Amino acid sequence: MQSSLEIADEYEALTQFLYLAPVGIVQLSIDGEISLLNPVSAQLLMPLARDCELSNLFTLLEDVAPDLRYQTEHFDKPHGMVCDALRVQLNAGGRGVSDPPVLSLTLLKLDHARMMALLSDVTTQVKREKLLRQNEAWFNAILTGITDYALISLDASGRVNDWNPSIGRVTGFAREQVISAAYSLFYPSDAITRDRILDRLHEADTNGWSMDDGWILRADGSRFWGSAVIVPLVDRDATPQALAAVLDTQEESRYCLIVRDITDKREATERYRLETQCDHLTGLANRRTFFEAAELELARFKRSPRSLSLILLDADNFKGVNDRYGHGAGDEVLKRLSSVLLTTFRQVDIVARVGGEEFAVLLPSADLDEAYNAAERMRLAVASQSVEVAGQSIRFTVSAGVAAMDGDIAGLDALMKYADAALYAAKAGGRNRVELRAEPLADAELPLA
Amino acid sequence: MVDTLTFTEPDIHAVLDTMSDADLDALGFGVIGFDADQLVVRYNSVESSLAGLSAHRVLGQPLFTTVAQCMNNFMVAQRFDDASAAGEALDVTIDYVLTLRMRPQRVKLRLLSSPSGAHRYVLVLRPQ
Repeated sequence: MQSSLEIADEYEALTQFLYLAPVGIVQLSIDGEISLLNPVSAQLLMPLARDCELSNLFTLLEDVAPDLRYQTEHFDKPHGMVCDALRVQLNAGGRGVSDPPVLSLTLLKLDHARMMALLSDVTTQVKREKLLRQNEAWFNAILTGITDYALISLDASGRVNDWNPSIGRVTGFAREQVISAAYSLFYPSDAITRDRILDRLHEADTNGWSMDDGWILRADGSRFWGSAVIVPLVDRDATPQALAAVLDTQEESRYCLIVRDITDKREATERYRLETQCDHLTGLANRRTFFEAAELELARFKRSPRSLSLILLDADNFKGVNDRYGHGAGDEVLKRLSSVLLTTFRQVDIVARVGGEEFAVLLPSADLDEAYNAAERMRLAVASQSVEVAGQSIRFTVSAGVAAMDGDIAGLDALMKYADAALYAAKAGGRNRVELRAEPLADAELPLA
Repeated sequence: MVDTLTFTEPDIHAVLDTMSDADLDALGFGVIGFDADQLVVRYNSVESSLAGLSAHRVLGQPLFTTVAQCMNNFMVAQRFDDASAAGEALDVTIDYVLTLRMRPQRVKLRLLSSPSGAHRYVLVLRPQ
């Protein structure tokens, strides 16, 4: 028999064990209400708490992982992993911290009423993995499943400067069509910009290669799912004189572009992309993907300034739709809005769900006017249709704020503040409208969403 | 003096430094005192019973990495760092949530440090 003193001592040791655990552990109800949590959970969640309230995990994470409640509601097994080490992007940086903080969240359904969540800060790990992933992609590209590829040599500005039969075999283009044409010839027109052509060459110089998967255009207008790698041909250890000689001659081959048809792998890579980079409800890019892509665009802007615009948009009176027709109808509205976004914007634009009913679109090489016009087209398209749910026809509208990057704007956070202030003006101005860059309000004046 | 010392007492910092452990235990709020290396040097019985931990498990331990990890963010720990880096005094009261015995509990925290004082303090008041 243990004495009650020993039991009390053991209880205390167990309590301290939980206090000391270096990961966040939370027990919650199936609708997110928190019943138990340890200190690291509070450390990680308090900065997200709007009114100093740690009562509901879904509410706490609503702005950064808006599809959690939906994922839980649609998890049809009696118990099991709802999400496993889901990466949650918190903000664009700021608060004096140089790296954007990323949380890992695991959600385990215990039974019909209870769940447990595991939280940890994986910011440094994410950074390390990114480097590893790039290496892996590179080896994958050279080592696996090469059946056929087009080998295309490019000059310093990205124009094709030599013919070889593999180009004809893979893409169907003829010699006279490709010689002296920019390599964007092989891409659908809305999937690349003039700036992007040079960005990728520059990134190949900096990183040793530049790689992407996507649609590749054939001469007859048809497409295939391809993988394209650009590799610089200049020896990085070459003497400055040798380097200068190569840089001087524009006709000289500077890069090699290798295009492979990976149609057979598309399903697997797309499934992976949907699971890791997309919002579960809408299929748009998720918050983390948006911030990663936006940081890359901002880095490109800083290296070589060009047009770059951001649209933030918000479904009007969305809470009203949820209250009146239910969450299911709200979800349908968000899905429809997402499909309008995908048809309105270009393939090169980054369209993401960044909050509950908040969306962001980053438009590379688009100036303020072009972004405004695109936002207006989107607004009109949304207003002109309706969603049918359970025999009810629901009409809805959106408000949008547009801002363009310029030298006076410090970074992504600042650009988002301008667009956000414009979005706020659109809301205040009566909704169903698009407003241009406005002066951001001081933090204290910002209304809570 | 000691009986009437309240959570909101103005200039509380200097008084705390002079109080005995028994005096601290008699207060109506939790007191955690720590030194420049962030090691816990004072832990009163109110705090001990709120957290369910005896003082001997806590004294001498680093505050923000083992005793109160929940405060290791920009809202609490960063404030002490900033005040210390700027050589300024700190005396702010914030609303916070602690995980006392793993249950979320709304509290008021008063954060105290001064460039001259030997100890820094976190005072914890549980609303009645």
